[in-house]
Amino acid sequence: MATPGMLDSYFKQVGNYNLLSREQEVELSQKIEKGDRSARDMMVNSNLRLAISIAKKYYRPGGNLEDLIQESNIGLMKAVDRFDWRRGFKFSTYATWWIRQSVSRFSMMNSSLVKVPSHTKSLYFKISRLTKEYNEEFGENPTDTELADLLGTTPSAIKTCKDTNPFGKEISIDAPIGGDSDSRSLKDVIPDDNATDIGSLIDREKISHVIRKCMSKLSAREEKILRLRFGISDISENSDQFKISNEEFELIVKGVE
Amino acid sequence: MSMPKGFKSKTGYATASATYNGMGYREIAEEMTKQGFKMNHSTARNVFLSSMKKIAKEVCIVHGEEISSHDMYRIVADPRFQSGICEILSEM
Repeated sequence: MATPGMLDSYFKQVGNYNLLSREQEVELSQKIEKGDRSARDMMVNSNLRLAISIAKKYYRPGGNLEDLIQESNIGLMKAVDRFDWRRGFKFSTYATWWIRQSVSRFSMMNSSLVKVPSHTKSLYFKISRLTKEYNEEFGENPTDTELADLLGTTPSAIKTCKDTNPFGKEISIDAPIGGDSDSRSLKDVIPDDNATDIGSLIDREKISHVIRKCMSKLSAREEKILRLRFGISDISENSDQFKISNEEFELIVKGVE
Repeated sequence: MSMPKGFKSKTGYATASATYNGMGYREIAEEMTKQGFKMNHSTARNVFLSSMKKIAKEVCIVHGEEISSHDMYRIVADPRFQSGICEILSEM
């Protein structure tokens, strides 16, 4: 990261380059078309002030201005390479869009730790704007289907985008709740829906033992009917598995009581 | 066993095909008759429920519950109970 002194030095250096007149822009553009590297450098250097000015508009406290300026300069270089002097526009008019695009994309991509595709963020912007306009006009929020129709996408895409909230703030799973370092963290209170309840597991095991005991007491006819009714494998073939001693059974029952 | 007068199941009725890949009572009766245990569908049902009662009784003992024969019938005929027993037996 550059120090404030370095940034000031950069600003001074950029200030040394003179702005170009329209004629000079055309002249340089013609040279760039012919592959003149020095003309390209001059065109870029003369417009660095524009890049800084746009980068500053996207700067937020806590952000990194150097990175924004760097992205802004990348956008400027793209504009220099694609500028068509024959159309008769000033270079700054054309370059502004490329610089904005480059900086805004960088800001979007680095606004959160979780990478969300730029098209999703863009869709979120559109949803927010459209919802606001719809609300102002009709006094209620549009449904996902209405939004999908208006934005030319599917209701499921709208729902996913809303649920994702690409601009939501991240929170650490280890961060203590309420700010007190001794309090529980978020991970302590998130339920595990897939966890097995130990109590019910033990209960099930006991019942399983009881059923085995019962099965060993059933007659062949009862056993066959149970098997046919439940559509399970031949119990008589596995009857050894069901057999447990009377002592074992008594222990299980006593254990529960 | 006839249905108790005014009985209305709150939990639906257990059907072999809907709950598990088992047979209906008529199919069971036919299969059992083939295997030498001559019976009709009512007997198949009675024997099945009687077996389930034996299991339910032992389960109630484990849980320390005393159940009347009327309530026992309700438990045994409950598709949730039958499904649970079926699941446990399948895992054995």
